[in-house]
Amino acid sequence: MLLEFEKVYPVFSWSWDIPGDENAVKENGDEDLCGICRVSYNGTCPSCKYPGDDCPLVIGECNHNFHVHCIQQWLDTPTAKGLCPMCRQPFSLKRNVAINEFQMGRLAKVLINSQPATLNDDQDMMMEPEFVVR
Amino acid sequence: MASLPKRIIKETERLVSDPVPGITAIPHEENLRYFQVTVEGPEQSPYENGVFNLELFLPDDYPMEAPKVRFLTKIYHPNIDRLGRICLDVLKNNWSPALQIRTVLLSVQALLASPNPNDPLANDVAEEWLQNEDNAIAKAREWTNMYASKQ
Repeated sequence: MLLEFEKVYPVFSWSWDIPGDENAVKENGDEDLCGICRVSYNGTCPSCKYPGDDCPLVIGECNHNFHVHCIQQWLDTPTAKGLCPMCRQPFSLKRNVAINEFQMGRLAKVLINSQPATLNDDQDMMMEPEFVVR
Repeated sequence: MASLPKRIIKETERLVSDPVPGITAIPHEENLRYFQVTVEGPEQSPYENGVFNLELFLPDDYPMEAPKVRFLTKIYHPNIDRLGRICLDVLKNNWSPALQIRTVLLSVQALLASPNPNDPLANDVAEEWLQNEDNAIAKAREWTNMYASKQ
């Protein structure tokens, strides 16, 4: 049999490059959902229309991942006290991860703003250098 | 009405398809952010055999802001005042967007199982609880029978 290709329609798929994801323990056996808006990592936050670079994902030092818009909105609230919504550790971006690189500047600002609110007597640990924005 | 965020739709669907034992939450037809809630009193608590009506409202900023939850049924509890307002950390300072309607209602149910008179909202009730716990528990039981009995 002889086949002749008249047209080719390439289809591409993409997903965020999350290092170590193969071994990550999936929360509640869920698929990979943003812990805040509960939409897929590869989808968008509720305010965005197009996934991908317009609505990036960030990876926390604590290995909890969120749409940058979601975590930014959370860290902007006084209730957040700079903490990760999932594990309540001070939220910071994981270093040396490609997809975080472009978000460093944006989130650093939020993290600096949110730090003073956490400086209660019983929270001196926040002052330690390792908690300062990376 | 502004469109409902996907997260709220998902949560509502799951509350129906996979309900929490002892808890119901039904959205109001005209306002899908307003839920009529019932919580069964935990076994071996003074609220056992009671069914309590609550209202739950998801503010515009939900999930950045906690749901507003209030008891509609009268209840004798040191952390719930006569207006039905609830003193519960996850509804205030310890809210996190990782929590959901179902987890919040489970926390409310847990509060019924372990009243905390040292962090009171209803001062008179808390005082009674600290001074004469047996009396307080008997009164909580009595109120449960009077106001929260299953019909």
